Amino acid sequence: MSKLEAKNIVKYFNHDGHKLKALDGINLNVSDGEFVCLVGPSGCGKSTFLRIVAGLEIPDNGEILFDGKPIENTDPDRIMVFQEGALFPWLKVSDNVEFGLKMAGIPKNERTEISRRYLDMMQLTKFADSYTYQLSTGMKQRVAIARALVMDPGVLLMDEPFAALDTQTRNLLLVEMQLIWKVTKKTILFVTHNVAEATVLGTKVAIFKNRPSSIKKEITIDCSRPRHVEDQNLFKYHQQILNELKPEVNRDNHIEEKYHH
Amino acid sequence: MKKNIIIKKIIFFAILIVIWQAVDLANIWPDNIFPSPYEVGEDLMYGISDGSLFYGIGTSMWRLAVGLVIAISGGMILGIFMARTETINQTIGSLVLGLQSIPSIAWVPLAILWFGLTDAGIIFVTSIGAIFAVTINTYSGVKNIDPNYLAAARNMGAKGNQLIINVLIPAAFPHMISGFKQGWAFAWRGVIGAELLFSFLGLGFLLNVGRQLNDVSEVIAVMLIIMGMGMLIDGFVFKKIEDRIMSRWGLR
Ligand SMILES: Nc1ncnc2c1ncn2[C@@H]1O[C@H](COP(=O)(O)OP(=O)(O)O)[C@@H](O)[C@H]1O
Ligand SMILES: [Mg+2]
Repeated sequence: MSKLEAKNIVKYFNHDGHKLKALDGINLNVSDGEFVCLVGPSGCGKSTFLRIVAGLEIPDNGEILFDGKPIENTDPDRIMVFQEGALFPWLKVSDNVEFGLKMAGIPKNERTEISRRYLDMMQLTKFADSYTYQLSTGMKQRVAIARALVMDPGVLLMDEPFAALDTQTRNLLLVEMQLIWKVTKKTILFVTHNVAEATVLGTKVAIFKNRPSSIKKEITIDCSRPRHVEDQNLFKYHQQILNELKPEVNRDNHIEEKYHH
Repeated sequence: MKKNIIIKKIIFFAILIVIWQAVDLANIWPDNIFPSPYEVGEDLMYGISDGSLFYGIGTSMWRLAVGLVIAISGGMILGIFMARTETINQTIGSLVLGLQSIPSIAWVPLAILWFGLTDAGIIFVTSIGAIFAVTINTYSGVKNIDPNYLAAARNMGAKGNQLIINVLIPAAFPHMISGFKQGWAFAWRGVIGAELLFSFLGLGFLLNVGRQLNDVSEVIAVMLIIMGMGMLIDGFVFKKIEDRIMSRWGLR
């Protein structure tokens, strides 16, 4: 059985009075323990799809089955890591990480014990008492990941979590992310517009069409781990994905032209 | 740097007192209309030694504190309701904007009719003058919360009062603190004004006593105390809290 099964997801938005079709029938199957990367031109609806999986948006048509049950609301079993982290500046790092546990009514001493494990995993132990303004962007994303992992979610939803990082920090986190996935055996949905990132991380890459979008192609990445951005045997996948994306990005330009003339 | 500023201030106020003394020595106005700094100082010392000044400060301060606590808690609740429910904003919200434009002093007759010449009446005037500033700032604070904070919190299972206490209020706090600051300024004006008109203890009452006794230096002495207390609370309470919040929230 699939861990996650999206069936014909359609989503409209209101844009200055007229309807904008963002998603036009997304179909996607994710097995337990899979690491699925979603790539596509910007504005095609990747974040929207992830938010629907999280239960933060309701689709206008179709449904998503999670462990066989339709998703109707948010649930700590499907945790989202936001692009900007969305950490709470009024809480210390450790309290940020413990937030979901506190909401679940878990007593303080247990919370501390659990969060300590994940702070350690994300190499944040030294920063447990820091506030988020004292952290670098990379550190903040580590906290955001720890805060999600602490909930031991059935699926981890990550929306371009490394987009704002410098290359060095990103490469480091790409390696760590693979380790985390291996150790925790999590099912992960990971949105990125960086093709190299997708091939390094994913067991499978799903390519979104331009808006109104559906999934154009799924490519299974069959390479040993840990993978690195420069790995030669990932290049053929890069090429393949870029070839699929090219017409989508061009179409984007075409639309812009139509608007401007 | 900081020392420099303090020295500047001391010199400025020293010059001011010297000028004051000089004007007094020029004998333009009679002493019972324009007292010297020495006379005002004498009155201050007298008020301190017989305890009347401390009693006045204490009375005004506790009324202010109770009024502010009511205004802050009531204003926060009202502001959060307005931000969360559009109908409340459209109805009660417009009433709040209207009431906000009434100077707190204008509530005094109503307070006297409702509560008589009591502490409750003065506290009513104090808190009603401050509550709407807190309400409006709380409202805009909640409205301006980064939607990702709320999405993340909901996602991690926060709902209802949990969400309000753990996310909504702290996320809106930088805005709310300016509401508290405005609220405190209105409350301070409100409490002194009300005491003046109620003529029932407190610093405002002492002002009134000074006027009735034709004691200009007493009036000025009490005004100096009112100014001093205001500066103290502004600088040491609200500015400290604001600085802390701003740096903690990474806003400066
Ligand atoms: N809350 C919203 N209201 C209106 N339009 C939205 C909203 N969220 C997303 N959109 C629109 O839907 C489209 C897809 O957005 P998004 O999912 O953020 O794309 P991506 O993450 O792939 O860049 C965009 O055109 C965006 O402007
Ligand atoms: Mg996006």
